[in-house]
Amino acid sequence: MGILEREVILCGIGGQGIQLIGKALALAATKAGRYAMLAADYGGEMRGGPSQASVVIGDAPLRSLPILASSAAAVLMHHKFSAFARERLRPDGLLLLNTSIVTDTVAGETAHQGRVVGLPVTAMARELGAPQSAGFIMLGAYAGLTGVVTAAGLETAMRSLLPPYRAQHGDANARAIAAGLAEVSSL
Amino acid sequence: MTELRLLDGCTAITEAALTAGCRFFAGYPMSPFTGLLEAMSRRMPEENGTCMNAESEIEAVNMVLGAAAAGARAATGSCGQGIALMQEAIAEMALNQTPAVVFNMARNQQDYFQCTRGGGWGDYRTLTLAPKDVPEAVEHTQLLFWLAERYRMPVILYGDPILAQTQVAVRIEPRDHGPLPPRDWVLDGSSGGTGRSRQVWTWAMGKATDPGPGPDRHWRAIAEKFSEVAAAEQRSESYRTEDADTIVVAFGTAALFVAHVVDELRARGLRVGLFRPVTLWPFPSVALAAATRRATRVLVFELNAGQMLDDVRQYVHDRDTVAFIGGVSIHESGLAFGPLLDAGPIRERILSASEGTR
Amino acid sequence: MTIDTSAPPPGADQVAAARPDLILGDHGLCPGCGEPVALRLLLEVLQELEIVNRTIGVVGHGCYGSFVQIMDVDVLQCLHGRAPSCATGIKRVRPSAVVFTLQGDGDMVNEGLQEVLHTAARGENVTCVLLNNGVFGDTGGQQTATTVIGQRTKTSLAGRDPATHGYPIPVADLVASLSGVAYVARGAVSTPAAVTRTKKLLRKAFEHQLAGDGFGLVEVLTMCPTGWFVPAADGPDYLTGSMEAAYPLGELPLRSAMGGGV
Repeated sequence: MGILEREVILCGIGGQGIQLIGKALALAATKAGRYAMLAADYGGEMRGGPSQASVVIGDAPLRSLPILASSAAAVLMHHKFSAFARERLRPDGLLLLNTSIVTDTVAGETAHQGRVVGLPVTAMARELGAPQSAGFIMLGAYAGLTGVVTAAGLETAMRSLLPPYRAQHGDANARAIAAGLAEVSSL
Repeated sequence: MTELRLLDGCTAITEAALTAGCRFFAGYPMSPFTGLLEAMSRRMPEENGTCMNAESEIEAVNMVLGAAAAGARAATGSCGQGIALMQEAIAEMALNQTPAVVFNMARNQQDYFQCTRGGGWGDYRTLTLAPKDVPEAVEHTQLLFWLAERYRMPVILYGDPILAQTQVAVRIEPRDHGPLPPRDWVLDGSSGGTGRSRQVWTWAMGKATDPGPGPDRHWRAIAEKFSEVAAAEQRSESYRTEDADTIVVAFGTAALFVAHVVDELRARGLRVGLFRPVTLWPFPSVALAAATRRATRVLVFELNAGQMLDDVRQYVHDRDTVAFIGGVSIHESGLAFGPLLDAGPIRERILSASEGTR
Repeated sequence: MTIDTSAPPPGADQVAAARPDLILGDHGLCPGCGEPVALRLLLEVLQELEIVNRTIGVVGHGCYGSFVQIMDVDVLQCLHGRAPSCATGIKRVRPSAVVFTLQGDGDMVNEGLQEVLHTAARGENVTCVLLNNGVFGDTGGQQTATTVIGQRTKTSLAGRDPATHGYPIPVADLVASLSGVAYVARGAVSTPAAVTRTKKLLRKAFEHQLAGDGFGLVEVLTMCPTGWFVPAADGPDYLTGSMEAAYPLGELPLRSAMGGGV
């Protein structure tokens, strides 16, 4: 709630890597010696069901709630199951949209008053030849816009989280983080 | 200072237990306790300890009883339904004075009665700590292993799915809570055949050549022990209660949410505070009476139909000030709390309880 | 050569001191009860194997429960049926201790059937001793899971009838069918010869534990004339005529010995 803590709600559907990017973000902050909290929420289905991760990062032991009362930022990788994230986003907060899937008309009935940044990360990831890395493009963008973690910290955390059968995605995900960061550097 | 590690509650509790010397764990899977059993399964062998996936909750707790009687720092746990099965053994450990830690990772309601009233037989209580978040759960876990041995009794850490599953950056550092009494009661076999062999027995009749106090004196002594614990181990947190005319009483994760709402309402000018029992038993009656001396209303918020409410009514400074603003609220899956555990609904209940009264 | 019998020979007191009687006092059980005989055999075996100073016993609930007062062994008196679980915990944290349970049929085969089967299947290196008299003696003589067909108890007054009361459970056979089991045997204390054989069975069971071979169970058929509604002197014959037919004596063949594993 205070300026010492910064919240973000990441949401999408199962298969978009929401849990992985949420954990990478929280882990990168922890490794940098900052306080972090990750509250994950997902359904039983492997694909297509709701997937949400609330991450809070701060410089003192956190007081934020595991079910956030309000959030400084929301990242929508999909419009489905995004009601909670949209409702909790503060009016002056940052809204990041995956515009490959989420269009203005499905983002919500009322336009967000605060900053809206749209990136077609699904399409960008396909162009990078790594469709599974879309979430990391978005994560790089978030890091670039807020400065809560560095790209290097995200990359290290990401690699440590990949299970052995996905290790080959490490380089592609690292490129995705860099691409997201670059995309917002001019904003 | 040790580094920060991003750990979910179950993993953090496991690490804390290991730093406190826990080397025997037995449990039966049931969410949200399952993560604790799995974390113990991974880590115990790495620390030369034993983790048993017992074939039933009753077997798990009795394995722990045996291991503890033989001198190990031992723990078990379950969620409410499994803790229900363990009641006889918990009473047994209280009455035969076996130290053990029981992790009650409740599932979808706040099982205050289960921890504080118990369902075993005889005159016993179960010292229970209810952490509000993962960092506090780490401290409490370490403290509980010490308290169990200090007083030779089973003790409870009270948790829930949010505590179990939220991942938080924490430090796990070993802690020294002070000297412990001599362990002259441990069964290790070595006094067999000496005429002074040992006995762990709820009836404490001793041996033919060395009679014990027997059930009457033994159980009266244990009741006195619980009275000492009741006086010495009450713990609570009074948050912004000094000038509050409305005090909300809540424990565990629910208290975390209430604290947040207290800050919100204070920013709006309302004089509201939170009284948080940290020990569910012994209930912090002394601190509650003191904190509520000048309160106009004392609002009890818990996720059940009203359990801690009874103790608040009993010990509050003026019982006419007490109102219940909690309730049963279950997620549609049955496996988590429902929509009442959220800042907005809690704020609305505090506000509407504060309007039009006195 | 005359022998001086006015005093024990020199050194005899040292032998007596070296082999203290592990029985600390009188038992209070009924005349003709077989359980104190079984206790003495157990304690003699511990002494002969020289393991009593690293033995921990776990005693259940029954008439034999009072043995926790008269056995000079470190002992845990535990909940009805749960002794094998307690024994598991003890052995896992003190692998060099010798751990046994002492349970009646009501304790092991009624309340504690899953405990003993799970402990056996896990191959826990403990020795369970079952005192089987086919009746809940301590509570006054009710039917247990091992009461034999035709046996009268307070809850089967006309004698156990399969149509109403079902069949007795031969727990030793169940245990012998599990992998992880090193030794299963049945003895009795109804005749001097049976007593001698039972002591050998107990000794073998503990030798298996010392060798780390896995789970051991020794079932000892004991007389309970009070529970059987027979005069004390008739206990042994009643045992031979009824219990032994349902629970044949001897060492049971093991699944694990036959190479059967899962």
